[in-house]
Amino acid sequence: MNVRRVAAIARRIANGFKRDHRSLGLLFGAPVLVLLLLGWVIRGQSSPATRIAVVNEAGPLGAVIVTRIVDAARTGGLQVVDIGASVDSARAALADDRIDVALTVEPPGTPGSTGGPVIELMTPGVISTDDSLHVAAVQRALADAVAGTGAPAVVHRVLYGSPDPDVLDSFAPALIGFFGFFFVFVLTGVSFLRERVGGTLERLLATPVRRSEIVAGYSLGFGLFATLQVVVILMVAFGSLRVPAIGPLPEFSAGLGIANAGSPALTFLIVFLLAIGAVNLGILLSTFARTELQVIQFIPIVIVPQALLGGVFWSISSLPDPLQPIARVLPLTYAIDGLRNVLIRGEGLASQTLQVDLLVLLLVAVVLIVLGAATIRREVA
Amino acid sequence: MTAGTDVAPVVEARELRKVFGPIAAVDGISLDFTPGRIYGLLGPNGSGKTTLIRLLVGLARPTSGTARVLGTEMPERQVLGRIGYMTQADGIYADLSVVENARFFASMYGVRDRTAIEEALDLVDLGGRHSTPVEELSGGMRRRLSLACALVHRPRLLFLDEPTVGVDPALRVVFWEHFRRLAADGATIVVSSHVMDEADRCDELLLILNGRVLARGSGAQIRETAGTHDLEGAFLRLAGRAAPAAEAPPREAPPNDREGAAS
Repeated sequence: MNVRRVAAIARRIANGFKRDHRSLGLLFGAPVLVLLLLGWVIRGQSSPATRIAVVNEAGPLGAVIVTRIVDAARTGGLQVVDIGASVDSARAALADDRIDVALTVEPPGTPGSTGGPVIELMTPGVISTDDSLHVAAVQRALADAVAGTGAPAVVHRVLYGSPDPDVLDSFAPALIGFFGFFFVFVLTGVSFLRERVGGTLERLLATPVRRSEIVAGYSLGFGLFATLQVVVILMVAFGSLRVPAIGPLPEFSAGLGIANAGSPALTFLIVFLLAIGAVNLGILLSTFARTELQVIQFIPIVIVPQALLGGVFWSISSLPDPLQPIARVLPLTYAIDGLRNVLIRGEGLASQTLQVDLLVLLLVAVVLIVLGAATIRREVA
Repeated sequence: MTAGTDVAPVVEARELRKVFGPIAAVDGISLDFTPGRIYGLLGPNGSGKTTLIRLLVGLARPTSGTARVLGTEMPERQVLGRIGYMTQADGIYADLSVVENARFFASMYGVRDRTAIEEALDLVDLGGRHSTPVEELSGGMRRRLSLACALVHRPRLLFLDEPTVGVDPALRVVFWEHFRRLAADGATIVVSSHVMDEADRCDELLLILNGRVLARGSGAQIRETAGTHDLEGAFLRLAGRAAPAAEAPPREAPPNDREGAAS
């Protein structure tokens, strides 16, 4: 392999980017925007005080329970709304959005009873995540109420990550993997399609260049940009520079300040391997596209299933059984697992699961390199 | 055939055939090209000129027959370093500048000498536009840059696939001056064209139709054979003579269909 030719091809890609500001924006601006937006949505989620109403349907015993609940709710920071004493008025209040949760104390013997009275929680059921937040708030308040009564208290600690549960912690590694794959795939696919359609590939193949040099040059060129992209994403995800309030803008943190235990070198290694796979997948699939739009059409087939199954949103073990084997052959699955191992668990190369992740990513990259190179034919049969 | 010449041929093809499905794009072509001459491949669109060039450059593998270029049987990667190939499409990178394109192809050919790059750009009169992005070049300038990219390694053998398509008459004259100068320096040039008036500038012509060589020789010789005053007429007359024989057995085209023969 001629290093000069490989370098020239990589430089060609870099020079192309220099003038293509839109692609640069896609590569660096878009992930930052998405990450910041996500951080803002998740962190800044306004959790207004949960408004509850308590209705007694269980007679004098129920009245005692209602008093206990109302006291506990008030001390727990919940807002108790007086809506009258009937189940119907509670339903009406829920429907009119005057309360978030209606608690009804039902007499013993109602379905679900274990002998004592039953506390029924009713929520609107429109947006389940909102309901869960409010129900959780009620449960916390009630748990606090019994905390001092000798009942066992439950304290939640975590082995890895920050003790304050933050969805971003698990999202950040997944997004780094996802962006690394997605943008590199799209950009390489389009770039190589242009080579095929624009006649430059034909011309390139009329020079003494080797196929391996083309593949290596592309992998190096786009791998370099993928790595730079990771640097930017990591700075945004794990950096925590406080920007003071300016004018109407409130004080905010440039960078999400996500707890990070990992080694940057291993992070790069994972993303680089993933990016090389994505580069060669782009080269491979550009064979099956005739226009740039057709490259974009691969996104629902190649990218979306990986996002759904690869662990961005749900862990592999929570997937339905038939989908689990599929998830286990997707490169993004291993990249995300690897990034979580490094960034959240702080694992090093000694970790066996990380070794498996890296090995699979390497294997996927090699297979895609071979397949991608096979589509670059000098002699058409 | 140039049998009897004392110079070894630069390009030798023997019974080259290239079949795509039911169609023979190149159907048994033999030729010998000697150094320092300009050869013209003349024929309508779809007659097999580009496929013939691709076979000679080694971008396609012949179904049967052989092509030897610079003494080596094609396809062979190593020989490509001494061949220049200007494709029909410009084949240059729109997102690079003029000089970046030239440097890129020079690197591919393994050329480190910057003066060769400058020379190629000066030759096509783009020496003063180094940093202009290709996107901002006119069609004619792109054609010139495309030619320069085929010259950066000072090839001994140059294949030019319709180099003057979309090029204005003044620039066409400039191009042909370049080609003549390169040939005078000993390079062999193979130009494909479907423009008949360009053909007379070549030392030897091959009229190509349906993947076969219809006639070969200098422009004067071909006109004489056909008994016409211009090449266009010669081509049509020769194509008319060849058509029934070539068309009749494999295809079910009506016998009086002259369209099929000419297009």
